[in-house]
Amino acid sequence: MNRNRLSFKIIVRVLLFCFILGGSVFTIYYLFARETIERESRENAIHLAESAVYKIEEIISPAEMIPDNLAWIMETNALSQDSIYAFLEQLVRNNDAVFASAIAFEPHMFSKEQYAFAPYAYRSGEEIRSHDLWSPAYNYFIMDWYQIPALLKKPYWSEPYYDEGGGGVLMTTYSAPFYRNINNSRVLGGIITIDISLEFLTEIVNSVKIFDTGYAFLISGNGVYVTHPDASRIMNQTIFTYAKEIDEPRLREIGRDMISGKSKLSKVTLKELGDVWIYHTEIPSSKWSLGVVYPHREMYAGLRNLNIMIFLLSIVALTVLIIATVRIINKQIGPLTKFAHTARNIAGGNFDTELPAVGDNYEMMELHDSFRFMQEELSKYIADLKETTSAKEKIESELRIARGIQTDMIPHIFPPFPNLPEIGLYASLESAMEVGGDLYDFFPIGDDHLCFAIGDVSGKGVPASLFMAVTITLIRSMSEKNRSAAQIVQSVNKTLTINNESNMFVTLFVGILNLRTGELQYCNAGHNPPVWLNKDKEPQMFGNTKAIPVGIFEVFDYRDETVRLDPSDQIFLYTDGVTEAEDVNKNLFGEDALIHALAENREKSSKELTDRVKQSVKDFVNGHMQSDDITMMCITYWGENGNNEKK
Amino acid sequence: MKITIGKADEGYLVEIDGRIDTTNYNEFEGNIAHLYNEKGVMIYLDCSGLDYISSSGLRIFLTLQKKVKVQGGILKIFGMQPQIKEIFDISGFSSIFAIFPDYSTAKEA
Repeated sequence: MNRNRLSFKIIVRVLLFCFILGGSVFTIYYLFARETIERESRENAIHLAESAVYKIEEIISPAEMIPDNLAWIMETNALSQDSIYAFLEQLVRNNDAVFASAIAFEPHMFSKEQYAFAPYAYRSGEEIRSHDLWSPAYNYFIMDWYQIPALLKKPYWSEPYYDEGGGGVLMTTYSAPFYRNINNSRVLGGIITIDISLEFLTEIVNSVKIFDTGYAFLISGNGVYVTHPDASRIMNQTIFTYAKEIDEPRLREIGRDMISGKSKLSKVTLKELGDVWIYHTEIPSSKWSLGVVYPHREMYAGLRNLNIMIFLLSIVALTVLIIATVRIINKQIGPLTKFAHTARNIAGGNFDTELPAVGDNYEMMELHDSFRFMQEELSKYIADLKETTSAKEKIESELRIARGIQTDMIPHIFPPFPNLPEIGLYASLESAMEVGGDLYDFFPIGDDHLCFAIGDVSGKGVPASLFMAVTITLIRSMSEKNRSAAQIVQSVNKTLTINNESNMFVTLFVGILNLRTGELQYCNAGHNPPVWLNKDKEPQMFGNTKAIPVGIFEVFDYRDETVRLDPSDQIFLYTDGVTEAEDVNKNLFGEDALIHALAENREKSSKELTDRVKQSVKDFVNGHMQSDDITMMCITYWGENGNNEKK
Repeated sequence: MKITIGKADEGYLVEIDGRIDTTNYNEFEGNIAHLYNEKGVMIYLDCSGLDYISSSGLRIFLTLQKKVKVQGGILKIFGMQPQIKEIFDISGFSSIFAIFPDYSTAKEA
């Protein structure tokens, strides 16, 4: 899968989120479960230990009762030798826990003639047998079981031992003294003993099962193992020797706590089980101590198994999640790829491209609608554009034709009069738009006169161009009937003023030059005054005549002015497009710059002079868009005889 | 270009700021067109802020002048900058319009 695909990104994010969420939940669950297991295990250990202790006490307590009950019987010398045997045999028979019982008398206490007497009844297989313990070889007075309670004057539990006579059974003996009143004084009568087989204890303690390897054990008051699953330790090892063997000081601490009768839960590391908990508590009667061992490993085994199960389930769930997510996402965003394809098709101009099916996904439906809207709008827009473009093209083509017509209206072949050596003439008209309102014209009148005109219609573009066409036509036709410049202007004005509701007007300069004499008759109707160039003088503008442009008032008295040109004098005519040419900062070219350019280039040919001025204007505007028509005309009068050097 | 039309003593004071050329002469005409319709209207045209005027602009001035005259009103122009005055002089428009150096002389005349 492409790593940049949206579906991949979504899946990665979803999985990451599931992972974090699952991990957090699992951690909390794990800690909680562990805590619960620990608590329950602890409670269970305590409960197990205490119930075992209770069971042990149930067996031991009756054993303690027996000597107490016998003691008062023995305080009188009521029983015969035979009946004592029968009594003891009966006692052993009736108490399952009792393996044997003896009543050992103090010297001469049973009878004066008998030194020692210790009737003893014991189990031998299914039978109960009895005999006198006393023999010169077995002087019971020096035995621990006799001496210790006799000296301490209180009952005593012996350390466990293997009974040699009893078939190698592990035993313990409870010895309790009894007393007699002789001569009003209370003297020791002897010791009553009850032998208890520790088989019972072993059974009870071994019946405590904790998981697979956990167990319970019992140590005596000296720390000797009384019961332990490992039988080789019983009677052979103490908890202290074992602690030393496995080099575990904490176990020695536990041993000390146990023999001092404390109940406590401790953690320790054992060689065969690893980390374990040991809970120990005292058996009150015998001052022995019971311990239960809880192996950590097994304690948490259930949890571990559960964890493995959860882990496996998680993998399955994640796999299912991935597959389901991929499917859902691909189904939901699948149309996007199709939309991308469609967009390309549409961009290629196929606005009718069919849109992908999107089902009932709201966002996709939105996208679908947007696409449809875009298709419709594009179609509409393109249709409009086509229409506009064709309309525009039509207008442009018409304007091009109009421009051609307008250009044809003004003379544009130079030099215009090869057979008139008296005149050098050049003119140029550059419209700011396709068609414009500037005009110039020149034509000979008769054999020895040249009529010329320059004008500027107010405004620009098509309206101005129509007015210009009318004006230029009028100038030509009026010049046929009228002999003076003012008369021509007057006639043009009169005609233009009729029905001129839009108040269009033309500034117009008309001149008639006598080629023989150099006399120039002119009429200026509000036009920029032309410049008169003489090789010996500074350039000079024609005076202001205060006559208004034509087309404004039907009745206006236009007057003729007259000057005389010397041979090689030049007249430079222009429209305000020259002096008002703007640079990018809206600075105007101005009359001063025009005069300067003309002064620098006088005595050049009409064409060259015009071109130089044009270049100066071009340099000045420096690429800024031309806003008005620029028209220039230069007439050089060479005198009656003409000039063959310059034309 | 900015056109401000205010009330003067007996008519309107129209202030023109900036340039009037082919790009905005229509706007200029639209702004002042409503003044044409009042009988005997008196209009003072303050040109002190006018920096440039093209022939299209002159045409609107001309139209204004003619319409005001038809209504029997008077148009007075004052405060022209030298380069504007020059355009009016060259084109002969100075002889058509009533032009004054400033507002007070325009009012007195």
